[in-house]
Amino acid sequence: MPRYTVSDALVLRRSPLPSGDVVLTLLSEHGKWRAVARKGRLPGGNLARLSLFHDVTVQAYRRRDDDLAVLTQVRLNGALSGLTRPEAYPYAHVLAELTDALTVDTHVGERLLAVVASGLRGIGSHDDPEAVALAYAWHVLELAGLAPQVGAAAARPTTVGDSPSATAGPAPARAEAMDTVAAPVCDRCGALATRLAVDAGRMRCDDHGDHVRDVWLGEDGARSLALAVRGPLRAAVLAPPEDRKRAWRALQAYVREHVSEVRAVTALAREPA
Amino acid sequence: MRYPTPLLTLIRALSRLPGIGPKSAQRLAFHLFNRPTEEVLALARALEDAKTGLARCPRCAHVMATDEAACAVCTDPARDTALLCVVEQPADVLAIERSGEYAGRYHVLHGALSPMHGVGPDELTIALLLERLDGVTEVVLATSTTVEGEATALFLAQRLRTLGVRVTRIAYGLPVGGDLEYADEVTLGRAMTHRRDL
Repeated sequence: MPRYTVSDALVLRRSPLPSGDVVLTLLSEHGKWRAVARKGRLPGGNLARLSLFHDVTVQAYRRRDDDLAVLTQVRLNGALSGLTRPEAYPYAHVLAELTDALTVDTHVGERLLAVVASGLRGIGSHDDPEAVALAYAWHVLELAGLAPQVGAAAARPTTVGDSPSATAGPAPARAEAMDTVAAPVCDRCGALATRLAVDAGRMRCDDHGDHVRDVWLGEDGARSLALAVRGPLRAAVLAPPEDRKRAWRALQAYVREHVSEVRAVTALAREPA
Repeated sequence: MRYPTPLLTLIRALSRLPGIGPKSAQRLAFHLFNRPTEEVLALARALEDAKTGLARCPRCAHVMATDEAACAVCTDPARDTALLCVVEQPADVLAIERSGEYAGRYHVLHGALSPMHGVGPDELTIALLLERLDGVTEVVLATSTTVEGEATALFLAQRLRTLGVRVTRIAYGLPVGGDLEYADEVTLGRAMTHRRDL
C-alpha cells in the first residue's frame, strides 16, 4: 500500500483533542476511515476546510496499514452552509451518524458516498429537510442491506382503528392502490405492513402486529418508507409521511434493533412534534 | 511483568484524561513516583480542592468558587449589564477578556449543539440564558466558527429574536498578521461576504 493516498471524502464526525489535533471520521469511496489533522484546531491549520459535513479532497500519510492516517493536505470541494440552519442541522446529524454507525462492520462501497453527499445537499437546500432526511435514512439502510423487505404487498382490508388513514376512504379503493405500488411487507404473511414491531425491529401487518406496543406507520408512512427503500428517492421526498414524529419513532426502533443507538434519531423521536 | 496495583490504578486514572494516551499516562505515573512525597500530596490536594471548591455561577454558568454567590464577572459593578456575550466554554471567557475589547457580561453554554454526540438544547444552559434577559439590549453570540458553533448561534438567534433582543454575531475574518494567500477559502469567502465600509 502506498504511504501517501489522495481521496475524495465527506467529514462525518470531528473529535477535537486538547492538544489542538482533530480526529476525523471520513467517508470516501473506499469506505469509512479515520485520520488525524495535526493542529487542526489552530488558526492557519486546515480547520475551516475540515468542518463537519464538508466535501473535501485529502492527501493522507500512513506508514503502516494499521496506523491512524495523518492528513497532510486538504482541498475543499464544497461547503454546505445551509446545514447550519436550525431547520436542517439535526437532520444532517441523523444522516452522518447513521452512516457512521452503518459502516462499522459493513463495506457499503462507493454508492454510499454519492448517496450521503446527495442527502446532505438535499437537507441543506430543500424546503422540507426532514422529509429528505427520512427518505435518505431508509435508503442508506437499504444500501447496507438492512432495510425492511419491500415488495408487492398482498391486498388486505385494514381493520385497525387507531390510524387516521384507516378511515380515510373505502377499503376496496385502498386495496386496489396496494396492488399497484410496492410496499413494506409483513414478514409473517406478506401483507402490507403498517406497523413496526419495536422489540424485534420487524415489519408487521395489522393482523400480526401488537396494537399497543408496535409503532403504527400508517399507510402513508409505509408507502413513503417503501419509496425510500426502493427509490426513486425524489418520489419519497415528495411523498413524506404525514405524522413525522411517528416516522422518527419507527426509524429509531428499527435502527436500534438492526444497527445501534443513533443519538440524533433518538433526539428527534423524543422531542415534541 | 505486572506493575503493582497502585501504579496500574494511577496509570488507568491518568489515561482517562483527554489527550493522555497509555504511554503518556505511564510516563506521568513514573514521574509522580519519583517526585518528593510533599509535592505529590500537594497535587492531590489541589485536585481535590478544585473539584470541591469550584462550581458553576448560578447567573452565567461560568466557573466560580463555591464560597461565593456569583462569579467575578457577574459581581463586577463596572460591567455593562445591557451587553451579554454568549460563549461555549469558560476558557472562551478568558480569551475574550484577554482582548480587552469587551466590557459586558457573559453566558457560558458549556458546549455546542451536536445531536450525534447527544447534545441538544436541554444539555446546554439555554434555559438559564433565556431567564436572564431582563435589562439586556444586545446579545453577542461568540460561539466558535465550527459547524456546531454556527448552528448553535443560529438556533439561539432564532429564539432570542422572538424576545425582542438585538442579536449580533462576532465577525469572521482573517487572522491579524496573516498573509492573504495562505488563508483558506472558507475564511476568505466569509471575510469577503461580511466586509465592512471604511
